[in-house]
Amino acid sequence: MRITLTVNDAAYPLEVEPRRVLADALRDDCGLTGTHLGCEQGVCGACTVLVDGEAVRSCLMLAVQCDGVPIRTVEGLTGPDGQPHPLQRAFSAERGLQCGFCTPGFLMLAAGALDHDLSENEVADLVRSNLCRCTGYEPIRRAITRAAHAHQNGQDGRHRSV
Amino acid sequence: MDGWLRREDERLLTGAGRFVADLRVPACLDAVFVRSEVAHGVLREADCSAAREVPGVAGAWSAADLPDLPPMPLGEPAREWPALVEDRVRYPGEALAVVLGDDRYHAEDGAARVRTRIDPLPAVVTAQESAADTVRLFDGLSNVALRGEAGSPIDGEVWERAAVVVESDYRQQLLLPSPMECRTILCVPGGDRLTVWSGHQAPHRLRQDLAGLLDRPEESIRVVVPDTGGAFGSKSAVFPEFIVVAWLAVLLGRPVRWVEDRRESLLVATRGRGQDQHVRLAADAEGRLLAYELTVEADVGAYPHLGVAFPMQTAWMATGPYTTPKVHATVRSLLTNTMITYPYRGAGRPEATSPLERTMDVLARRLGLDPAELRRRNLIPPEAFPYRTPTGRTYDSGDHHAALDLALRTLGYDGWRAEQARRRADPDAFPIGIGLSCYVERSGGERGSLHEYVGVEAGDDGTVTARCGAASSGQSHATVFPALVAETLGVEPARVRLVEGDTDELPGGVGSFGSRSAQIDGAGLQHAAGLLIEEARERAARLWDLPVEETSWSDGAVHPVRGSAAMGLSELVKRTGPLRIDERYEADMAFPFGAHAAVVEVDPELGTVRVLQVVAVDDCGRALDPDVVRGQAFGSIVQGLGQALYEGVPFGDDGLPLLDGGLLDYLLPTYAEIPPIELGETHTPTPRTPLGAKGAGETGCIGTPPAIVNAVADALRLAHPERLQMPLTPDVVWRAAA
Ligand code: FES
Ligand code: FES
Repeated sequence: MRITLTVNDAAYPLEVEPRRVLADALRDDCGLTGTHLGCEQGVCGACTVLVDGEAVRSCLMLAVQCDGVPIRTVEGLTGPDGQPHPLQRAFSAERGLQCGFCTPGFLMLAAGALDHDLSENEVADLVRSNLCRCTGYEPIRRAITRAAHAHQNGQDGRHRSV
Repeated sequence: MDGWLRREDERLLTGAGRFVADLRVPACLDAVFVRSEVAHGVLREADCSAAREVPGVAGAWSAADLPDLPPMPLGEPAREWPALVEDRVRYPGEALAVVLGDDRYHAEDGAARVRTRIDPLPAVVTAQESAADTVRLFDGLSNVALRGEAGSPIDGEVWERAAVVVESDYRQQLLLPSPMECRTILCVPGGDRLTVWSGHQAPHRLRQDLAGLLDRPEESIRVVVPDTGGAFGSKSAVFPEFIVVAWLAVLLGRPVRWVEDRRESLLVATRGRGQDQHVRLAADAEGRLLAYELTVEADVGAYPHLGVAFPMQTAWMATGPYTTPKVHATVRSLLTNTMITYPYRGAGRPEATSPLERTMDVLARRLGLDPAELRRRNLIPPEAFPYRTPTGRTYDSGDHHAALDLALRTLGYDGWRAEQARRRADPDAFPIGIGLSCYVERSGGERGSLHEYVGVEAGDDGTVTARCGAASSGQSHATVFPALVAETLGVEPARVRLVEGDTDELPGGVGSFGSRSAQIDGAGLQHAAGLLIEEARERAARLWDLPVEETSWSDGAVHPVRGSAAMGLSELVKRTGPLRIDERYEADMAFPFGAHAAVVEVDPELGTVRVLQVVAVDDCGRALDPDVVRGQAFGSIVQGLGQALYEGVPFGDDGLPLLDGGLLDYLLPTYAEIPPIELGETHTPTPRTPLGAKGAGETGCIGTPPAIVNAVADALRLAHPERLQMPLTPDVVWRAAA
């Protein structure tokens, strides 16, 4: 099937089989390998991307479902000015990553929720949606909380929606 | 560094990390394996002809199609482990055939068309069944793969004269290491060379193994370890799938890769632990330990291999942190119809700590002693180091009492005991329990692997290159090692970069396992930087026509003792030529230690366990980067929590693991399961290197599980604690409480 994936504001015209999973299309057809596959069954969340602003498991979605829908991946998190997103800074500052394999999934999951003030419980709900085998999660919780505060307070010089 | 705490962070946070599956090589073929759906059986047919007709399939092979395919290395000739099943399936998921496709989808289409037929045989999955030898994995040969012991047998009289003897049985269940990135290998032939990309802990060992298997010189193979998504011991060997992929890449002259998926990983990745244990612990009336006996029956999987010997680690560490005068440990490793056991974070030390610490709590109850007091009476005192144990270890250093005291203070031990008493008096309150665990572990490796290649080189542009044989899978080497070299040389850390994980860039290497990188590579890099300083001083002395003693080193430059001239490294290199130190550094093993404590609340009617608090006091000597060490300690505790409460591999009667639901069946801890965890540290540097660093990062898997299980036993006031076997699922706890 002919589709066009719109990822991080760039158009990728593709010819894909209907069965092709979004994660594979992103990684192999668009060359955006920042989205990782950890289980391919919807449990780990390493493959999380934003489809029309909503965090989804890209291993559970077909590429053809996303024809013409805006998609954002970890590669699109950095601002157009090259400035890191507050989440990226916060993950580093709070040591929210070790091997970094799960990280893009957590970043996009949080990025999809940062458009409003996050309560402690909402942050906890986000963190418990994905798996990380290295950090023990607490640093990830701190990182998202920190980024949410930075976002609310308009620190890092900007409000930015993803 | 530009607002990033670690050098690894920017690329990993922007999607620019490069894991093996992210590498793009033109014309690369994807390998998919056809796997056995039975645990044990005779292979009657593996017919790949239909698969070869599938569009996008480049080829399909069974063992019969590849008669020269080499078997796994380091096995026993009589019990060979073929890379593809030849006639007998011995574990579920064992590879029957391989299909290469121009992408994964086509390869899987092909794999679905491979016709296989297996006549099932009865499967054995427990050590006990295996030991009976009624079902043999290799016809005519016993299932016993190894027997060993540490220490000497203990006289019957010792047990008879003891005031108390506690006996118990424990199970250290099979665990799946489960790094978030499964195993990977990409083999790219080119000219007379083969480049191998793999998420791996020991690139030089992989190169050596592949060279032997492919019968070609080591120099013709380059192994590169790019970003690696966790390992925890599970990425340190060569695997059957690696052999097949490398073989086919060479045979076809085309790049071939295998990116293991989670379903495969749950079936055929190496497992950790896997021991049935029996213990006897004797003490006098004051609680002084007299003797400890540990019997290990290990279920080690289907083929003899390096992993059959790892239970010996448990035997050597059986003494633990106590002054027990007589300790004897025996081991039998038994073949079972499952993928092999291999090191998983802790590797042998959790299996030593858990039975001893659980039995200490039972003993305390029998003696009517507080479990903390019983431990205090028996911990090896600081002045007794170096301490030679009855099981043959010589512990380098330690202050176990300090670690235990700090753990109890941090926990608020007395306060929790008071709360426990209050709840016991209140029939409506859920009981709580407090569990302790004191441990000692071994880091650095065993004799024969206590060395490492290290190097430091000064460039004429002011940069410094550090090299070492380690390979990071998330441990921040690229940040921590340059900082250490920079500190030793007195230069800005930004000037130092690290090269590791590429056999073409290094004259040699051992790798990262057994908590050895900081301890051995770190000490080696510090040593190499020191040699570089000496060499720089000698060269400057010649230039200045001074005796070396009249030169000194500070802030990255040589100075004459008198006078103000100074020569930095770049100028020295420009004037005297390349300045590079390459060393084979050898150190000794070290013995990190600590004390963990847990408080749990149990609902006896539902069998649920709520962990209210975990305290972990670890001593790894000098921590190169305390925040990095704490990060690893925290993650390790969560893996320990996983063993205690959630993770395990149950089997059906047919010998198949009951994990069809993938990660919905194998329960990795999520954030929902994380209790409040507090870390504490004591610092007892190892005297065995000038650096003083001991290994770190495995202790949560070692110290935490018995603390949690002891806490549950304490909450339930169990007379028969062996009814509590990990993982403590609601079912297990409910039955134990009943
Ligand atoms: S890979 Fe999609 S949820 Fe795990
Ligand atoms: S940082 Fe390694 S899995 Fe999360």
